[in-house]
Amino acid sequence: MKKEIPLAITFISGFLLIVALFVPHRPFGDLEQRFNDWYIIVAGFTLILGVDSLLAHHWKIIRRRQPGAFHSMALILSFIVTLVWGVWDGLKFGNPFDPASTFLRYFYTYVFVSLQATMFSLLAFFIASAAYRAFRARTSTATLLLVAAALVMLGNVPKGYLAIPPVVAITGLLLAFHFFREGQETAETTMRIVYWGTALVILVLLYPVIQFLYHNLPAVKDWIMNVPHLGAKRGILIGVALGAVAISLRIILGIERTYLR
Amino acid sequence: MFLTLALGLLISQTTPDTLTPPPLIPLPVTHVRAYDKPNDDGGAIVVEWELSPMDSLITKYEIFRLEGSPDAEPVSAGFVLRGTTKFEDVGVQNGKPYYYFVRSWLNSEYMDSEITSEPAIASAQWFHRGRLNALIILVFFVGVLLYFLQRAKSGGELYIRRIAGLEAIDDAVGRSTELGRPILFVLGLEPISNIATLAGLAILKRVAYKAAQYGTKLIVPCFDPVVYVAAQEVTKEGYTEAGRPDLYNEGDVFFLSYDQFGYAAGVDGIMVRERPGAVFLQGYFYAESLILAETGNSIGAIQISGTTAVTQLPFFIAATDYTLIGEEMYAASAYLSKDPLSLATIKGEDLVKLIFILLFLLGSILETISLLTGADLHFLTRFFTTY
Repeated sequence: MKKEIPLAITFISGFLLIVALFVPHRPFGDLEQRFNDWYIIVAGFTLILGVDSLLAHHWKIIRRRQPGAFHSMALILSFIVTLVWGVWDGLKFGNPFDPASTFLRYFYTYVFVSLQATMFSLLAFFIASAAYRAFRARTSTATLLLVAAALVMLGNVPKGYLAIPPVVAITGLLLAFHFFREGQETAETTMRIVYWGTALVILVLLYPVIQFLYHNLPAVKDWIMNVPHLGAKRGILIGVALGAVAISLRIILGIERTYLR
Repeated sequence: MFLTLALGLLISQTTPDTLTPPPLIPLPVTHVRAYDKPNDDGGAIVVEWELSPMDSLITKYEIFRLEGSPDAEPVSAGFVLRGTTKFEDVGVQNGKPYYYFVRSWLNSEYMDSEITSEPAIASAQWFHRGRLNALIILVFFVGVLLYFLQRAKSGGELYIRRIAGLEAIDDAVGRSTELGRPILFVLGLEPISNIATLAGLAILKRVAYKAAQYGTKLIVPCFDPVVYVAAQEVTKEGYTEAGRPDLYNEGDVFFLSYDQFGYAAGVDGIMVRERPGAVFLQGYFYAESLILAETGNSIGAIQISGTTAVTQLPFFIAATDYTLIGEEMYAASAYLSKDPLSLATIKGEDLVKLIFILLFLLGSILETISLLTGADLHFLTRFFTTY
């Protein structure tokens, strides 16, 4: 019975929610909202468990004088200060977020929001380091990614088209030189012709490509975002939606029971 | 002199009246009609009209409701701004007839439209006709799944392609064990009602099982308190299944914070202090995804990520060693357990996906032909359109 009852609850809840999707009439129409309300009530109680877990975890670190106990002390102290200050201002002003409350002015605005902003701003540096690794043109797909990303970035900045002539010219010349050297170093005549031919094609196409991108950069950027990017994104989303249906049916039918003990 | 003053006085007395234009009376809206809101649980009537010819000057349109008969006392149902041709009245009762008219306001002047000739009666529907397509697809999907479940029960061979990210789980746990470092498992920010979180819990169970076998410490900081409770149970179950319940430490699965960047800061701190050998980022993530993945990268941990958040996938692909893309995450529990019934659902999903791809291709061809020839071949597009 330890497993049968939760499985039965899951099956009935899942089946009712599927019915609610197609039957707007009461009592089915507002079932999803009602279930959500129940979830919020349960989640409210589990938050107490969560706070208990957090404090117990850090209290244990302090008691055992483990490394990093200082951080745990800072956490417990911050918790107490936030709780006491918030409750105090809540009682005083009716709401801790009242415009006149010192909790809002001094703690929330100048400490909490600033800390959040600090963490968020780290993202700028992390994007740069991740982009550097992702854009290293080691394979053909990574090179495609680099080219597409460069065009989208230049297409998104004001006057980005001005950077097109030098960027494309230098890249094209380096590529042509690379293929020319490859051709020189290879012993096979056919491959030599292929390499040198590629270098020649790059040199011939360089000027028209620069001209085209200089005049059509926003359109090229939009095409990349609206065609290959959106296509790939929708492909993933359709897969996710079908996968969600499959896993939901597995859960409703009791095939997937990982969440049960 | 006297004459000038007299004339001035006359002008000052008469100018305001003679130069002020008469108040502009707005023209009314036309073709007002009211009908029961379709596909709802009742209690709503939709009122539609054609804009007043003076719409650009109109201040607002006020909708009036008359209960029972056109002679009843009008009650204001609400108002909308100019340029709007539709209003949903949610203050009605099912089964009662209602008449409507629309008042066009221009500052303090107004003009009423004609009262609707037919009464509108709100009622609840037993079937959402706009979702008929979804029902057909669902029934078909369930049929395919049942077919594959039957095949699995009869012992049919089911092949699932190799998923590198899931294959790497055991290696990551092994590597962490060799280095003598703990394993960190992050379940994302979404509650347990999100399927990505449930899929993450399935992977957590496998990781817990392996960690118990190797005797490696597993740390699971949680964002959501409900997920925290579930993660505790799942981890304990993994340790029990591996035959090492004694190794399970309740304090290693804990609630961290209910704030997005507070949580990111906390997990980053754990990474830097504990220096885990393997980091699992499995669930639904937002802007903190790259902060977590890059910190994991900086400590040299092997990282396996998985999410269904399309906006965060590029970050994970760039910053982690293996990424489970979208549906691969949902397939994780079936893939790892090798349970034939679970694998059968993956096979069914794949077949439905293949049919969808073919339908999309056919739809693209039909739409192109329609565009070129003008023929009405939009039936597939209409079928897949939701209302």
